[in-house]
Amino acid sequence: MTLNLCVLTPNRIVWDSEVKEIILSTNSGQIGVLPNHAPIATAVDIGILRIRLNDQWLTMALMGGFARIGNNEITILVNDAERGSDIDPQEAQQALEIAEANLRKAEGKRQTIEANLALRRARTRVEAINAIS
Amino acid sequence: MSCSNLTMWVSSKPSLSDSSSLSFRSFISPFQLPSQSSTPGNPSRSSSVTPVHCGLRELRDRIDSVKNTQKITEAMKLVAAAKVRRAQEAVVNGRPFSESLVEVLYNINEQLQTEDIDAPLTNVRPVKKVALVVVTGDRGLCGGFNNAIIKKAEARIAELKQLGLDYTIISVGKKGNSYFIRRPYIPVDRFLDGSSLPTAKEAQAIADDVFSLFVSEEVDKVELLYTKFVSLVKSDPVIHTLLPLSPKGEICDVNGVCVDAAEDEFFRLTTREGKLTVEREVMRTQTADFSPILQFEQDPVQILDALLPLYLNSQVLRALQESLASELAARMSAMSNATDNAQELKKTLSIVYNRQRQAKITGEILEIVAGANALV
Repeated sequence: MTLNLCVLTPNRIVWDSEVKEIILSTNSGQIGVLPNHAPIATAVDIGILRIRLNDQWLTMALMGGFARIGNNEITILVNDAERGSDIDPQEAQQALEIAEANLRKAEGKRQTIEANLALRRARTRVEAINAIS
Repeated sequence: MSCSNLTMWVSSKPSLSDSSSLSFRSFISPFQLPSQSSTPGNPSRSSSVTPVHCGLRELRDRIDSVKNTQKITEAMKLVAAAKVRRAQEAVVNGRPFSESLVEVLYNINEQLQTEDIDAPLTNVRPVKKVALVVVTGDRGLCGGFNNAIIKKAEARIAELKQLGLDYTIISVGKKGNSYFIRRPYIPVDRFLDGSSLPTAKEAQAIADDVFSLFVSEEVDKVELLYTKFVSLVKSDPVIHTLLPLSPKGEICDVNGVCVDAAEDEFFRLTTREGKLTVEREVMRTQTADFSPILQFEQDPVQILDALLPLYLNSQVLRALQESLASELAARMSAMSNATDNAQELKKTLSIVYNRQRQAKITGEILEIVAGANALV
């Protein structure tokens, strides 16, 4: 059986083709999905998605959302998704440093919430690059 | 100026008691205009003469400038028309996402009917402070588009003041930004810039801001003010309550009228009989049932928690897209009107110009004839 993966963002379809296996970061930890997986619905955390095509692993940075698995169809709905190979390493590293600095400076509940979110996004992007190399 | 000469002639006519030579001079004066301008002996008359010459040249200049303006407005109209097409494409690209989202939201909601849901984004608290997200355009020259939405915002602010509620503004778009910067007494939480084509990133920036405001309990309600696209000639400024979200996946406006999120509307620009028209399509998304054996990896509440921000984002994105489409449509009709007006103005100016030119020629001929008669 083949497994079909579909990654959707509000803007576009990021990925829509067959894969062998994926590893997904959910709110309750990472799960691996192989063909004929039991149908589940899960929340997707801000984290990286690993996709196996034959013997090659690809990574993608996911910015939080939702996934539905069933009938050998995986639908992932996320706010934003970027392939690891499309991210500029320098830019991502800089963004991470800025996010860290912002979190240190953050005052009050609201700023902390914002800074934390930004930091997690930035960290995921850097992780998505490093996973390739 | 030739008119003032005429009135002088008319007024001088009944006063026959004056010397007849004076009345005669003033009678011929309109026809002696070119030659009189060179005589320094009568400065008041010469100064009244020169504008006639300039009038013709000025008219010609005005006709030229009106022609240029017409070209510009025509071009802007075409550009706006092309951009509406692009905006429409963006909506179509986002449809698979919103369709799946609505489908999932419906099904989860069904399963959650019996449970007591407590997701932070659906928390209904007593309202003390309201955040207004005002979506305006980046550029002018689009008729009353920006004014209409700003007026709507002002009206809402007045309403909130009357109710004794606190408010803050999140302004999206350059026009709104400059408006609120000029009015420092209106509290603005954040200024955000729009762009030529709304993307998920911008929607996310707005959604993040709104999210943190709401979750940190700084505001208890978030309203989204944007221009709803109805057709190319009609768009309505509307107010939607963005937060707290209703867990059923519905969007409600202030009057409590709820719009079903499954009713996905999008606009379509088509050419019919050589003219651009816009059709608005209403799609009813089929909400297929989940397989009953579907398991939830986490608590359904947690999943709802993950879904609602997505839903929030897609709502904001939809509003941005609608607003952009309305702006472009408004610009299209404004520019089309401007082109028509320019054409009309050009026509009237040409008629005035031709008349004046003819009057001048007639004057010159009469002058020559009068001169020849005087010699005989």
